[in-house]
Amino acid sequence: MIGDVFDWISDPAHWQSTNFDAGIWEQLGAHLQYSVIALAIALLIGLPTGLWIGHTNKATWVVSAVNAVRAVPSVGLLVLLVVIIAPHFYGRTDTGYVIPTEIVLVLLAVPSVLSNTVAGVQNVDGAVRDAAYGMGMTGPQVLFRVELPNALPLIFSGFRSATLQVIATATIASYVTLGGLGRFIYDGLAQQDYPQMISGGLLVAALALVSDLLLALAQRFTVSRGITGRVRRGDRDKHAGGNPDAREAALTQELTSEAA
Amino acid sequence: MKTKLVALAAAATALTTGLSGCGSDSSSSSDSKGGGTVASQMVFGAEPNFKTRPDGIPGLEKNYGVKFGKYTVTDVGGPVTVNALKRGQVDAVDLFTTDPSIAANNFVILEDPKSNFAAQNVVPLITKTKATDGVKQVITGIQAKLTTQNLGEMYAKVVNDKADPADVAKGFLSDNGLDASGTSAKGVSLTVGSANFPENVILADIYAQALEAQGATVETKLNIGARPKYWEALKQGSIDLFPEYTGSINSYLSPKSKATSPDDVYAALVKVLPSNLVALDKAEAQDSDAIVVTQETADKFKLKTIADLAKKG
Repeated sequence: MIGDVFDWISDPAHWQSTNFDAGIWEQLGAHLQYSVIALAIALLIGLPTGLWIGHTNKATWVVSAVNAVRAVPSVGLLVLLVVIIAPHFYGRTDTGYVIPTEIVLVLLAVPSVLSNTVAGVQNVDGAVRDAAYGMGMTGPQVLFRVELPNALPLIFSGFRSATLQVIATATIASYVTLGGLGRFIYDGLAQQDYPQMISGGLLVAALALVSDLLLALAQRFTVSRGITGRVRRGDRDKHAGGNPDAREAALTQELTSEAA
Repeated sequence: MKTKLVALAAAATALTTGLSGCGSDSSSSSDSKGGGTVASQMVFGAEPNFKTRPDGIPGLEKNYGVKFGKYTVTDVGGPVTVNALKRGQVDAVDLFTTDPSIAANNFVILEDPKSNFAAQNVVPLITKTKATDGVKQVITGIQAKLTTQNLGEMYAKVVNDKADPADVAKGFLSDNGLDASGTSAKGVSLTVGSANFPENVILADIYAQALEAQGATVETKLNIGARPKYWEALKQGSIDLFPEYTGSINSYLSPKSKATSPDDVYAALVKVLPSNLVALDKAEAQDSDAIVVTQETADKFKLKTIADLAKKG
């Protein structure tokens, strides 16, 4: 069976699309499309709302309410939305199926993004925030220059878990005539072509892992070293001997160099 | 710090540019290439398995030279397929002949003169040890009364009028004088199963109620799901009686089978059944596949048979 899966996935004919069959590349693209749209919308909703709630400490009930949405069964909601929405679209368009799919995926992603953003902002050290106000920063300045950078690790972790969930769940798009990597899973099941089905699953897992890796990289380059404690290799060597507190030194150096 | 905000902004821009390319409509590409035939301008909709089944796309091409422009995967003759045809997302679909939505929507069934689709007579499969003479007699009596016509009517009652399948089954038995109670199946205890579509549930209910009236101890496991789910249970004997369709179970068991006429398919099926299962008499009732188009499409291209799809259009 493992050999069959390898054969299926390594067959170049399965990667290219023909007039009739969409290949792996095309379905991968479709899968990414559904996922990226949903994640972008979730970010547009979750991030500003989360920052506002975390900064002002108002309307914190929204977080609990949105978290409750996680309990909604995705496939059930998808089919329900398709039944309601799809009949309104005529002609050769799959919009009637794309909209319900995106709604379901956005609902899946928003809770992670929102609750982690709120938690990230709320957990910023009170002394840091006070110091920022003490320096004469305005509310928005404190939010964007102090709270947001400090909350970034948690915001990233929320977005990364949302990404994993969305990529895994985007397979259900195939349940309602759309493409995506789920196509191989559903078609493989129906055609009793189990190597195809397993390959589909492996591709989804691989896509999720690669996406997470890329986001981890993005996180590495956007989160301040003052928070992560990572220091430049040169700095580490410099301080390896005498100064035990290399982190603080590196941070000081970074801040002074940026100020300059 | 500024550099970081710039990086974030750049990431956001990248996301939005990614978005703008996403609204494209994937299924419109089929219009652009001619190819000549009526079928080549059409989008075909059917379940995933139809693409590879011998009587699916390969069969249509071999028997009629029909090659569709594009294939959209829908469901197994269910609401998604019907809706896609009705709303013009696809131009031709694979539906079942007993489907009430064909009449309800004025859909046209294209004739199949070359018997591309195998016969699909209703056939009960039963565990050999439970097939006593009494049980056989009860089932055979039912089989003799099942027609494509009354099967379609029962199906419509459940789908259109939201009737309970068990009540519909009861009505069928009393209408055909099959509801007499007796003792011919006494002492037999069996489990009747069905797949998860209304027609199959009705058939299972009919068998179950008739056997119960004749003294059998009957348990039902209805709406189990698709064939891969229930077939193992039937093979291993945790389900004893199941309403099947000759063509589809035959092609499930021997995918390369070439039999198409009712008698040939039945004979082929009997040969490939596992040794612990028996096929009882097939009914005249059939629920076979059919290529279905809308009335407008049929008029526009003057379609009567599947072969007309291969005409220049």
